[in-house]
Amino acid sequence: MDITTRMQNGVTLVVFAGSLDSNTSPKAQQEIDGVLAAGAKKVAIDCTALDYISSAGLRVMLGTAKKLNGAGSGLRLFGLNQSVREVFDISGFSKILAVFNTEADALRGF
Amino acid sequence: MEEDCAPSRRVTEGMPYCGGMPSFRMTIGTDPAQVGGACQAFGEFAEAHKVPTAIRRSVSVALDELLNNAIAHGSAGVVSIEAELSADRLRVTLSDDGKPFNPLDMATPDTGLSLEERQIGGLGIHLARRLMDEVTYLRLADHNVITLAKLLA
Repeated sequence: MDITTRMQNGVTLVVFAGSLDSNTSPKAQQEIDGVLAAGAKKVAIDCTALDYISSAGLRVMLGTAKKLNGAGSGLRLFGLNQSVREVFDISGFSKILAVFNTEADALRGF
Repeated sequence: MEEDCAPSRRVTEGMPYCGGMPSFRMTIGTDPAQVGGACQAFGEFAEAHKVPTAIRRSVSVALDELLNNAIAHGSAGVVSIEAELSADRLRVTLSDDGKPFNPLDMATPDTGLSLEERQIGGLGIHLARRLMDEVTYLRLADHNVITLAKLLA
């Protein structure tokens, strides 16, 4: 799992590459905690290079969405492959998280 | 880790030995950190044998969920993982020597709750069941034996 972050138009983009599972989630959580501690209010997670996600990864997504669930802040996700999307659908996360197809879609009006 | 019908040090009693199909076998202890190594080794086996990407990913998720579950709930000392690829399916057998625990008995989580209400508990087993075509549990010779199958068609 490789994680990189960058700023784009006031949105913090977090890029996950690899698998987000019980083994890699602590690192992802640490990275996101750092982003939030630095004051990020609008976070977009780029899942284009995310291979698969298990419940440990969903926990990171859910916790982040809850922390950013307020006025002027938020979490958006984009670029989910079919396997990640299937896990989101089965778990009901497709309905409670803001999932977009592309980066442009995710950043529009954020 | 042993692949491709390499001579095995541990032949499971009562199981047909390899049978000419590509197979994979490894054993892990109770350190959760070893689950990542097992998932990675399985991924390499699946890619080496050209298992379709979607199936590799689904089985990887199920492995992460069920191996962590066995370690967390079962007081297991050793968990073994065997995967066998045949013409029409990928079959994975997980066996541990922990106390009896049937993950299929766990309640299905309510996946219709709002963001604020949602919890993660129970979701892992739910994912594993839904992502696989078959999941069976057996208590066999003081072992929990979970068999997963994914059809290749």
